[in-house]
Amino acid sequence: MSEKPNYALKFTLVGHTDAVSSVKFSPNGEWLASSSADKVIIIWGAYDGKYEKTLYGHNLEISDVAWSSDSSRLVSASDDKTLKIWDVRSGKCLKTLKGHSNYVFCCNFNPPSNLIISGSFDESVKIWEVKTGKCLKTLSAHSDPVSAVHFNCSGSLIVSGSYDGVCRIWDAASGQCLKTLVDDDNLPISFVKFSPNGRYLLIATLDNTLKLWDYSRGRCLKTYTGHKNEKYCIFANFSVTGGKWIVSGSEDNLVYIWNLQTKEIVQKLQGHTDVVISAACHPTENIIASAALGNDKTIKLWKSNY
Amino acid sequence: MEGDGSDPEPPDAGEDSKSENGENAPIYCICRKPDINCFMIGCDNCNEWFHGDCIRITEKMAKAIREWYCRECREKDPKLEIRYRHKKSRERDSNERDGSEPRDEGGGRKRPAPDPDLQRRAGSGTGVGAMLARGSASPHKSSPQPLVATPSQHHQQQQQIKRSARMCGECEACRRTEDCGHCDFCRDMKKFGGPNKIRQKCRLRQCQLRARESYKYFPSSLSPVTPSESLPRPRRPLPTQQQPQPSQKLGRIREDEGAVASSAVKEPPEAMATPEPLSDEDLPLDPDLYQDFCAGAFDDHGLPWMSDTEESPFLDPALRKRAVKVKHVKRREKKSEKKKEERYKRHRQKQKHKDKWKHPERADSKDPASLPQCLGPGCVRPAQPGSKYCSDDCGMKLAANRIYEILPQRIQQWQQSPCIAEEHGKKLLERIRREQQSARTRLQEMERRFHELEAIILRAKQQAVREDEESNEGDSDDTDLQIFCVSCGHPINPRVALRHMERCYAKYESQTSFGSMYPTRIEGATRLFCDVYNPQSKTYCKRLQVLCPEHSRDPKVPADEVCGCPLVRDVFELTGDFCRLPKRQCNRHYCWEKLRRAEVDLERVRVWYKLDELFEQERNVRTAMTNRAGLLALMLHQTIQHDPLTTDLRSSADR
Repeated sequence: MSEKPNYALKFTLVGHTDAVSSVKFSPNGEWLASSSADKVIIIWGAYDGKYEKTLYGHNLEISDVAWSSDSSRLVSASDDKTLKIWDVRSGKCLKTLKGHSNYVFCCNFNPPSNLIISGSFDESVKIWEVKTGKCLKTLSAHSDPVSAVHFNCSGSLIVSGSYDGVCRIWDAASGQCLKTLVDDDNLPISFVKFSPNGRYLLIATLDNTLKLWDYSRGRCLKTYTGHKNEKYCIFANFSVTGGKWIVSGSEDNLVYIWNLQTKEIVQKLQGHTDVVISAACHPTENIIASAALGNDKTIKLWKSNY
Repeated sequence: MEGDGSDPEPPDAGEDSKSENGENAPIYCICRKPDINCFMIGCDNCNEWFHGDCIRITEKMAKAIREWYCRECREKDPKLEIRYRHKKSRERDSNERDGSEPRDEGGGRKRPAPDPDLQRRAGSGTGVGAMLARGSASPHKSSPQPLVATPSQHHQQQQQIKRSARMCGECEACRRTEDCGHCDFCRDMKKFGGPNKIRQKCRLRQCQLRARESYKYFPSSLSPVTPSESLPRPRRPLPTQQQPQPSQKLGRIREDEGAVASSAVKEPPEAMATPEPLSDEDLPLDPDLYQDFCAGAFDDHGLPWMSDTEESPFLDPALRKRAVKVKHVKRREKKSEKKKEERYKRHRQKQKHKDKWKHPERADSKDPASLPQCLGPGCVRPAQPGSKYCSDDCGMKLAANRIYEILPQRIQQWQQSPCIAEEHGKKLLERIRREQQSARTRLQEMERRFHELEAIILRAKQQAVREDEESNEGDSDDTDLQIFCVSCGHPINPRVALRHMERCYAKYESQTSFGSMYPTRIEGATRLFCDVYNPQSKTYCKRLQVLCPEHSRDPKVPADEVCGCPLVRDVFELTGDFCRLPKRQCNRHYCWEKLRRAEVDLERVRVWYKLDELFEQERNVRTAMTNRAGLLALMLHQTIQHDPLTTDLRSSADR
């Protein structure tokens, strides 16, 4: 097992006419979905980078997009205060979820994909039922915009992070807050997600820091620095297909890759001409997709041998 | 007679509450019966109710009557006279009692004059709700044109202007006979060329005493009054007087998976706009308001009824339909609904208003000197304001050039590497093709069985009738038990159970409709769906033709026809023998041909559905394939390959 990956730029996907806000690989590895400020979602082939289709429907910028577990549905969160559920095969919008009173910022499916969770600028987290499109629960979670929501691998826990510097863990079934994680400085949390085994949390704060927390003990285990993150909510990811890396975008136009255990930067991917807002890892191959903001508007696919 | 238009008056039983049938039913009329299900008229003096039939007043006649007193009261007090509604012609006035037809005030009067009291008393069994409705709705029913009070030459009846909940009958406005034609309400009337959405009396004719504040006006100066045309305002039909719901047959319309069911019991003809306007906020009174109304100053702003034709929520069909029901329920509900709609609509209007203002601004800000150059190739003219080109031609030329230049390289780029999704698509098409093939074979099989069945039936018919004892075996021990019919619930003898249930089912089924808007058009398919067109619901019946109880009656069975059902041993083995009983008597094999035919038809229908489904899938795949690398897709998107060797990021080679 090599110590460093050798990600190399393979494809550049051009097509969005405004900043790209989020890229996600489908769980079956076939597709890459990208949402953008130009109000559309574009689906690309994950392996060849070729354009597949465009999903139209939102009235305002889209902030986030997420796949369902069977790769047949997408949910998108938009500034028009709605979320939309899309059927990928037909390209049609199946349902529009209305209820938030401000921009919807982040969204995710739960592993069984019967629920959708969304975080919004109205400081609440909402749980929606996919089948009916109705909001099942509203968690008045935070006192500032919610920047990230995520289910753990079993779907029993929800984590939400917000600009108020508080990260909360909720029981998905009852909506009870189980744990609150506050770091010393109350710095705005820009991104949070569960690790693939569900035991750790990856929390990004707007002080150029990424932290790996063991939330059951409430302890920070690892800290990753070196990148720039003070303004934007940049996605970060675990890469588990080859070596164990942490992958994140950065405001200095590079994609940073750290070794999960040693915390040192193992590679910096160069190529974008604007802030790299989102970086996604392919579920089975050593492929990274990165997307940049308005000056760049492209998505780049990188591949590594390990 | 003053109606207050709110609660229905329960008919006074007076001293007549003797209960004859022990149920405390009040009794009425000269016949002293409690029957209230026919037309009744009430005496304005003694408040006794009389059946129209008993005193020989028809509903029609009653429509013309404004005040009515029973014979007894009139005899006791000579001052009481029956008063009629006024109309222009005088001939009718001479007749008090007989056939005074309700005057047809110009064509189109669909229901009697809005005399709330009389209507309420004419309890023609339409229920409290309707009475409520009529009561509450009457206020703005336009009154018959009150005549200028000139004394009649034929009799002494005083010309009184009708009074109602919204008309005092005495003020200047009530005395007016003609619509001004200029105010907003007049301009909405059909006779003045309006869309008839607001449906209120002329502003100048809104009673000064009793009309709604927001309907009135305070004249600073009267506008010229144009003589009204002879066409009257068409009236809305009362809910109870609407044409009966399109026939009981269409009571239930079910939905079919394949056929698009018609959602269309026709919507009830325009229900009445509710008496309360959209907003219950009374607009501020302004002496100049009338002038403004005429000038249409409020056309674009928040007044609910001043909206565009498309945006009038309280008149859109859904809400109109709701209006019928809602009226019977609480008013409060209605109000809040209206308020919501109005707020929403106001918001939408505001949006539109905002948008309307955006563009003019932009246009104004550009003056000719600062217009950019047209982007057309080789064009030196200035661009049109708000556009990038001086003319359409330039725009088209530029677009064409763009395509010529960029498209070839994009196509080349696309073809540089194989498209994985394309390959998947092709495989999918393969599979679909195969399945279609197998479906078609199945279809042929079905057709064969169809013909086989017909042959069997034909052969069976040619058998001779034989009276057998077989029929009675096995039945005698069941005669003590009783089966209950699943459709009607009555107990029936098991021997005739099958026959009865078939008939019973057909009876109930024929009362419902099951159809789609499209006639069946399948080539090469004989007899599948019934497809009888129902003009009322505009649907084609989508039951199996052999089974449809609505549109095909079982032919009469001649006495000598043989049952002919192929007999089987142990359910499956054909014995080759046929049932020889006369069809009329055979209880075991009732309708066997119909059922067998239906079986085969159903299979065939299923196969057609499957084919349809596969066709749909194929179409989807093909569309995806074309759109993936279509002109638009290629022009708008690009995939730049950096490593000429890597065309496929999958680590294991082609799957």
